[in-house]
Amino acid sequence: MALLKTLLKHNLNFNLRPIIATKRFLSSATDQKTTDDDAPVDIENPYKKERKQCILCKLNINPDYKNYRLLSQFQSPYTGRIYGRHITGLCKEKQMLVEAEIKKAQNCAYMPYYYKDKTFLNDPKLFDPENPVRSHRF
Amino acid sequence: MPTYELALMIRAMPKQELKSTLKRISLVIFDRGGIIRNIENLGLRPMPYKTSAHGVVHREANYFMFKLDTGTQTVADLKEEYSRDVDIIRQRVFKLQDNNNHNCALEEELLPPAYRKEVQKMIEVGKTQVNRFTHKFKYNSGLDYYPFQK
Repeated sequence: MALLKTLLKHNLNFNLRPIIATKRFLSSATDQKTTDDDAPVDIENPYKKERKQCILCKLNINPDYKNYRLLSQFQSPYTGRIYGRHITGLCKEKQMLVEAEIKKAQNCAYMPYYYKDKTFLNDPKLFDPENPVRSHRF
Repeated sequence: MPTYELALMIRAMPKQELKSTLKRISLVIFDRGGIIRNIENLGLRPMPYKTSAHGVVHREANYFMFKLDTGTQTVADLKEEYSRDVDIIRQRVFKLQDNNNHNCALEEELLPPAYRKEVQKMIEVGKTQVNRFTHKFKYNSGLDYYPFQK
């Protein structure tokens, strides 16, 4: 234990020395230069939040009626209905496209109307229908 | 000539027969001055719902996807021709769309209603309209009789 304490003390001393040295160096440097250097710098706001994007825009995916596996993720497994924008979290344009493409795929008999294809039931969930942005009517 | 996608469902049949059917289908396109860009076989699979075509109920179909260039006027002719084909269960034609990139407007859509452009516009329009609920007819119209039915 005693050995450890002595070691720690040594370390502390080692750590303190360079800090003091840099401080001295900095103060001497600012004294020499003009005060203009200390003025606030015009930079972009570093705390600016990232722009929110929907999942399809972020991954640059265009919904297509031939890709019915992707489209089936926006369909309820119980009723086959298309989830709304408050559940899917898509932007207006992408939601419109998804709905149009699902209708096309259903019309082409690629996708069922009243249920979800059972082979796609274990696909990863893109959103949680139980926690919508806006509360459900039901 | 614009590019179209022809989604075809052909009834289940032996391979040799299917070959001749596909040949017949593509000849119809060529006869009307069309070009086939490619043909995709999506395989024989059960349909998500049963479909009755030409008096027979089908539960499985051969799925095919034709990408073709034809005149806009001939698309109706093609559809009519295929609708008479006994081997074709269902056919859909879609114009091929070029995927145009757009900027995601989710950020603006998630703002509170008062900050949304469309809501502000709606309020502006509302201000120019007569409020049906609070508006009251004024009797000082200069007429010595009531102009409406009582």
